[in-house]
Amino acid sequence: MVSYAGVGSLLPRLGWMRMRRPPNPNPRSRWPTRTTTTTTRRRSRSFSSSSPLRAALDSPDVSLLADAARISLSPNEVREFEPKIMQVIDWFGQLQAVDLESIEPSLRANTEVDARTREDAPEAFDNREAIIAAVPSYEDPYIKVPRVLNKE
Amino acid sequence: MALIVFRGGFRTNHLLLRRTFLFSARRDSSLLCTIQQHHQRSRYNVRAESLQATESKTSSKSIQMATKELVEKKTRGYEAIIGIETHVQLSTITKAFCSCPYTYGSQPNTTICPICMGLPGTLPVLNSKVVEFAVRLGLALNCELSVASKFDRKQYFYPDLPKGYQISQFDIPIARKGYVDVDLPVEFGGGHRRFGITRVHMEEDAGKLLHSESESYSQVDLNRAGVPLLEIVSEPDMRSGIEAAEYAAELQRLVRYLGVSNGNMQEGSLRCDVNVSVRPIGQLEFGTKVEIKNMNSFSAMNRAIDYEISRQIQLHNKGQVDQIVQETRLWDEGTQKTFTMRKKEGLADYRYFPEPDLPEVVLTKDFIDQIRQSLPELPEEKRRRYENLGLSMQDVLFLANDSSVADFFDATLENGADVKLAANWIMGDIAAYMKNEKLSINELKLTPQELSELIASIKNGTISGKIGKEILTELISKGGTVKQLIEEKDLVQIVDPAAIEALVDKVIAANPKQLQQYRAGKTKLQGFFAGQVMKESKGKANPVLLNKILAEKLNCPS
Ligand SMILES: [Zn+2]
Repeated sequence: MVSYAGVGSLLPRLGWMRMRRPPNPNPRSRWPTRTTTTTTRRRSRSFSSSSPLRAALDSPDVSLLADAARISLSPNEVREFEPKIMQVIDWFGQLQAVDLESIEPSLRANTEVDARTREDAPEAFDNREAIIAAVPSYEDPYIKVPRVLNKE
Repeated sequence: MALIVFRGGFRTNHLLLRRTFLFSARRDSSLLCTIQQHHQRSRYNVRAESLQATESKTSSKSIQMATKELVEKKTRGYEAIIGIETHVQLSTITKAFCSCPYTYGSQPNTTICPICMGLPGTLPVLNSKVVEFAVRLGLALNCELSVASKFDRKQYFYPDLPKGYQISQFDIPIARKGYVDVDLPVEFGGGHRRFGITRVHMEEDAGKLLHSESESYSQVDLNRAGVPLLEIVSEPDMRSGIEAAEYAAELQRLVRYLGVSNGNMQEGSLRCDVNVSVRPIGQLEFGTKVEIKNMNSFSAMNRAIDYEISRQIQLHNKGQVDQIVQETRLWDEGTQKTFTMRKKEGLADYRYFPEPDLPEVVLTKDFIDQIRQSLPELPEEKRRRYENLGLSMQDVLFLANDSSVADFFDATLENGADVKLAANWIMGDIAAYMKNEKLSINELKLTPQELSELIASIKNGTISGKIGKEILTELISKGGTVKQLIEEKDLVQIVDPAAIEALVDKVIAANPKQLQQYRAGKTKLQGFFAGQVMKESKGKANPVLLNKILAEKLNCPS
């Protein structure tokens, strides 16, 4: 079960692998429970390496993926992409075999992200003209987009 | 100094607690200034709504009672289940992940930068105020806080979302499992309720999209993109429109008391999406839930929900349950009905994944404790305290509705004023003036000290109640002190019987005809004489003494 364990967050582009999962990750965990950990932390440990490698990763529904990415693919292209995407999944799937038994679970990977926050002090961006100039269709003061009425 | 510790007191990722004691004194004072200014701004927005609320509470009482009975009759045999998702826009100076300032009503597309425009190569940096506000609200909602929480990307395509995803919190929100206590308005039957809070999470707002009726394009304003929000999800604990509206009103009071948002519904700073389903009483599973949006007042919420409940019950009664479908319906104020906006086909798939550009948010115990200690007295505590002072629930709800009114009331009591009299003056003449002049209580020239002085002056007989009202108007609009006004205008009540007798004699002598009529049996004329004497005294005669002496003089011809 891929969820928000450290390794999962290294693979942002594979977010769709979880698309058919229930909205809340199963709190069931094979990690030993420490009394000091919070519920929060326990919930995050759903990265299971006990399940067989292939079974843990669903094969992608390429048509659905394309739709979600707003890309049109012909049936031929769907057939062409399917094995390629599966290859990538299998490649990342090897991570499922990593033994995490002795690893302290974390909410997310300890990436190189700057951990500092910011004071709530305003600073206006001084090159607004350049941003506006880069907007493909702009009619002062609005950005023009094709008529949209529905989110779905 | 406390402020700084408080702001810097949480850490992110695995760094040690960051306590920034390094600010220069100059920086400190500018920080305080902005905060004060900010409070001022939110205060201005507060008044209209809270006054409106009280007005509708007192004016159309009987209509509301009738509506309530009607609703009860209609829902017989059925039970409505209501859950609410509320978005609260935080009153930070800058956006959640960039330093763009945000002010409601700015010229479109002016407060934007590469980060909130979602341009490639930019990185979000979290505004520390957002975490502080989230913790404040989480504590006020009696929630469990997540010592470590994180941000996730929620993906969807829409032109108001430049990045193609919204930074939100998915499986680990910053707070959850809380509750809120409310008191239902007296005219709706009253009663105390506790509603569960499922979760509170931090996220960013999207821009604004304007659809033109005729044109083939839509217009986008990205000023609001990236503005911090807290989403509050309730348990499905509400059963009627009024319960839902009161829940939302309590959230508004809370965010205003806490100073985390102006809670203004018209400006969209407080937005409620309501889920309504209906089931026959006794049935365990929930009915199909329908989402209602587009309600921009609590009263609209109440009406929209009650309309939706009866619409669904009617379908149940007609055997057309299958026509209740998962959909979003909009409330139309004009027709007082909800109508279909869009049907939901399957659950939306937002493909959440952890936001790789932001570290996890770790709260230290110190940080949480400091915020807990800095919380003001919350509406529920205030209501219970006022109730214990012996005030009626109507008074309690009015005074606790707006924290600045409550503060004014409390300050008046601290100066020794009688509880009930202070409540009456504030809810009567003062509220009326605020409403007419569209002012908040803090904008009045009247101070709590002078109000208590006024109450004392009437109570001890220095001035009459009538003069008191006149002085109050003067104090509200021009300021000054009660003592000074009484002296200046020579308003001290006349309590000397001889002086009043002289006035009575003068009036009787000046109106022989009326005296004759009175003595011929037209005793109603006593009122006329009393009025004339009062006028002669310039309103200063003690009315009790006046009437006593007048009656004696009229009835016993000398
Ligand atoms: Zn920005």
